[in-house]
Amino acid sequence: MQVSPKEIISLIALTSFVFLIAPIFLIRYVLLYNRKKKKHEEEKKAMVKTLETELLRTQMEVQEQTLKTIAYDLHDNIGQLLSLTTITLSSIDLDDRSKAAEKIALIEDLTARSTKEVKALSRMLHSEELLSRGLFSAIEFELEWMKRSDRFRINFVKPTFESFNNDSGKETIMFRLFQEIINNIIQHSKATEIFVNLEQIDGTLKMDIRDNGVGFDVAETLQRKNGMGLHNIKKRAAIINGTAAIESRRGTGSSVSITVPY
Amino acid sequence: MKFISLNTAAELICFLAALIFLYRDKSAAWRLFILYMLIVVSTETTAILTRRIIPNQHLYNAFLLAECGFVSYFLYNMFRPFGYTKKWLFAWWGIFAVVYLGELYYFRGGEYPHFVAFTVNIMSVAFVLGCLWFYYVKLVDEQYEPLMTSAQFWWVSGALFFYFGSTACNVFFDYLAEYDHASYYSSTRYVIYNILNIILYSLWTYSIVCRYRQRKLSRS
Repeated sequence: MQVSPKEIISLIALTSFVFLIAPIFLIRYVLLYNRKKKKHEEEKKAMVKTLETELLRTQMEVQEQTLKTIAYDLHDNIGQLLSLTTITLSSIDLDDRSKAAEKIALIEDLTARSTKEVKALSRMLHSEELLSRGLFSAIEFELEWMKRSDRFRINFVKPTFESFNNDSGKETIMFRLFQEIINNIIQHSKATEIFVNLEQIDGTLKMDIRDNGVGFDVAETLQRKNGMGLHNIKKRAAIINGTAAIESRRGTGSSVSITVPY
Repeated sequence: MKFISLNTAAELICFLAALIFLYRDKSAAWRLFILYMLIVVSTETTAILTRRIIPNQHLYNAFLLAECGFVSYFLYNMFRPFGYTKKWLFAWWGIFAVVYLGELYYFRGGEYPHFVAFTVNIMSVAFVLGCLWFYYVKLVDEQYEPLMTSAQFWWVSGALFFYFGSTACNVFFDYLAEYDHASYYSSTRYVIYNILNIILYSLWTYSIVCRYRQRKLSRS
């Protein structure tokens, strides 16, 4: 079968038409991909903004927590010591020299204890500075503070190195997570023993906090309004690309594990 | 004699746009665009004027040098920020020179004067690859750029339309010259090249406007 020149010319025209259509689709794909790139960039920017906002909020919460601790300590501890000092001072009878000496010695002891408490409070006021020395040191300091109350037996295990390669934002959020979990234990658990374990597993840092308290129903609490705290823990862990696993049953204590890459 | 057709009008508009919007441009490649468009318009006008007196193959053969030189240089300028050195440009010009001179003086020496259609084929393929590579570079570039108003993107798109769309006509250039007997103005070749030219110069005009706007925005 012989193909006529007319048919070949039509074929050339058709091929040219197809060759003309192809770039239209190509340009359309490139533009579509570019639009997705823009969307991705916007999402990235939004994530950075969320992280910054969350970090700012966390920093404020850490400060607030510190101020609360100081207020409690001033009221329950230093306040009591100073009241006792005042009462003792006013009860001194200078005529009874032997008793007066005894009372002055007691006042000296009370004043020394007050000074010690004030110094500890001063250190507490610099909690952000404390965090700059590393997350583990900050957690250790906080736990040491708790030990003073003799309300809890505390077991703390930490790695020998400091974490996060100067990612102070991540450390602040981790520290705040630690504070929130500890606050929950203090307020609701009725625990007598707290276990805090920090360990490094395959490029991740795992912070495990357990207690021997009354426990709670995790699913039920998450559904209730007062489950906001737990949701907050999960949300904050997700912001630093981590996860929070909360496990508890009534009567068996509770455990929260935060795992974050670093 | 018909001077103004859709094709020549598109070329003229593109030239005027280049003249108005690019003469103060900082980039040598964009300023060179004015000269190139002047060459395009002059070549087209000369071809229309002289086609009944002498064959215009020589004219288009000479124009091909300007076309290859400018388009290659322009594409190279777009790739330069991505780390491509001058050696690519010179290597390509070297290949082009060998093919061009080879076809002009050796392979078709017997049928003189003739148009260097094979060289055009090679050049078109090279430019299509250049345009596609530009898209690739833009896609893998992490930096987002609004392409709808990108002068470079629309310049490359115009070139891609033209060089890719003309592939079939280029490959069968000799065949069409021999068998496409209808009067030139209604021939398949004429229609296809007209469409391609209109697309090319429309997109290039748009890219010139985008370039002008980019320059104005960056200044303010």
